[in-house]
Amino acid sequence: MKKTIREMRPVYVVGIGLHKYQYMSDTTFVTLGLTAVREALADAGVGFRDIESAYTGTALLGMAVSRPILRHLGASGIPMAQVENASASGSTAFRQACIEVASGLSDVALAIGVDKPAPLAPAASKANIRDLVGARVVPFTHFALLANEYMTRYGLRPEQVASVAVKNNRNGAKNPYAQRQKAVTLEEVMAGPPISGSLTRLQCCPVGEGAAAVVVASEDGIARLGIDRKRAVKVIASVTRTEHVYRGAKNFDAELTRETTAQAYEEAGVGPKDLDLIELHDAFTIEELLYVEAMGLCGEGEGAAMIASGAVDIGGKCAISASGGLLAMGHPIGPTGAGQICEITRQLRGEAGTRQQPNARTGLAHMVGIGAVCVVHILQKG
Amino acid sequence: MSEQILAQPTLYSADTTPKLNGGRCKKCGYVFFPPQFYGCEACGALPEQIESIAMKGSGKLHSFAMVHHHQDRSGKGLQAPFTVGLVVLDDGPAVRSILLERTDEKLRIGDRMHSVLAPAGTDDTGKQIVELRFTQTEAAR
Repeated sequence: MKKTIREMRPVYVVGIGLHKYQYMSDTTFVTLGLTAVREALADAGVGFRDIESAYTGTALLGMAVSRPILRHLGASGIPMAQVENASASGSTAFRQACIEVASGLSDVALAIGVDKPAPLAPAASKANIRDLVGARVVPFTHFALLANEYMTRYGLRPEQVASVAVKNNRNGAKNPYAQRQKAVTLEEVMAGPPISGSLTRLQCCPVGEGAAAVVVASEDGIARLGIDRKRAVKVIASVTRTEHVYRGAKNFDAELTRETTAQAYEEAGVGPKDLDLIELHDAFTIEELLYVEAMGLCGEGEGAAMIASGAVDIGGKCAISASGGLLAMGHPIGPTGAGQICEITRQLRGEAGTRQQPNARTGLAHMVGIGAVCVVHILQKG
Repeated sequence: MSEQILAQPTLYSADTTPKLNGGRCKKCGYVFFPPQFYGCEACGALPEQIESIAMKGSGKLHSFAMVHHHQDRSGKGLQAPFTVGLVVLDDGPAVRSILLERTDEKLRIGDRMHSVLAPAGTDDTGKQIVELRFTQTEAAR
């Protein structure tokens, strides 16, 4: 009979590390990756020789990304593979590392996310299926269309959607790994150059470069390596789904999120009221409103009011994008999903400093990617 | 008209109100756009079960966005600002299209829309290229 991850061997996050997300620079992907992995190994208190398998989430770097990074830690001959799953590549690499440990194939596994911007087209563009708009509709216009529909349906003003960027940049200003580390006012968000529809520049995430790394371990691995159990965070759900056919103009991003999150709640035995923090795919402000509703944190059309109430600020009922989210921390593609796991782990350990969500016990990580794919993980304090 | 070249002849007809070339699954009835003949996305039916259908170029505006920022590497394509609309066709599928209206001032969700052919540059021999766009069916209110 098939099992969920929770019904297999328990999996714990025991080490986290990041290279700051930043605008494209001369830094090589090797340096980006090594910085994050060395930090994660040191955080776990283990050496690279203790790692038994590695998965690298990356979408833009090209063939065979893992070994050019990891050989510099002392080539140990372990299995390595790349995981490409669009914006959810890092989330999926983390999921593969969890599966590796949960199944018993490894006691200690490494998930990495690393990328640098590159003009690589999605495979679907080579399927010879053309639409009417082609490259004239890019993601920001896809989400501008959703914002237009949403605001009209619920009678909202553009400022109410834009306020998501104010909250997330306020959080990002406290995150030394964030690409945007500056608090902004609503006036500044609204005054920014218009991009598409009501979306202004600060309502669109920066896509740069960076890296994130996560070490996961079984109970045997923790015991054998003498890892600090008090800082270990348990993975209680790992779910991924892809889009099916939604008729007419139904919003597939929200529907896919709704389905995937519902399955994760069921596997974890928790509900939206149990969540102390969420890192979600806020590549554009409107997405946070769509997804908090799809995740069941509030009713349809109530997202803006919930954000205005402070309930999803740090210190509120459930902090959303305490890291700054994609809007402020940034969205370097491969690293993003793995970076969410780093933030949630740091928060659940109580080590998030000035952006600490008080008494955080349970956190959810959510990414969507073109395709469309969706990946959700739920983590809980050990 | 004879000197006009359709930008995407596989996607629409040369009529004054161009029809859109969609697909329909003979097995499950799923109607879709753009057309493809790899297999039915709804039920997995084989390519021979997919038939081409001509869909009326009429529908309702579901959402719209005025695009302010657009990088066209060729320099010959559409320059911002332009508007994009999601139109739910009377025949079922929702399609994204460039709208004839350059700004969003007079657009309203729920507007009746229809297809037109609009100039979209010239080819190497100087012939006019036209492409399908949607526009409001009722004149400015």
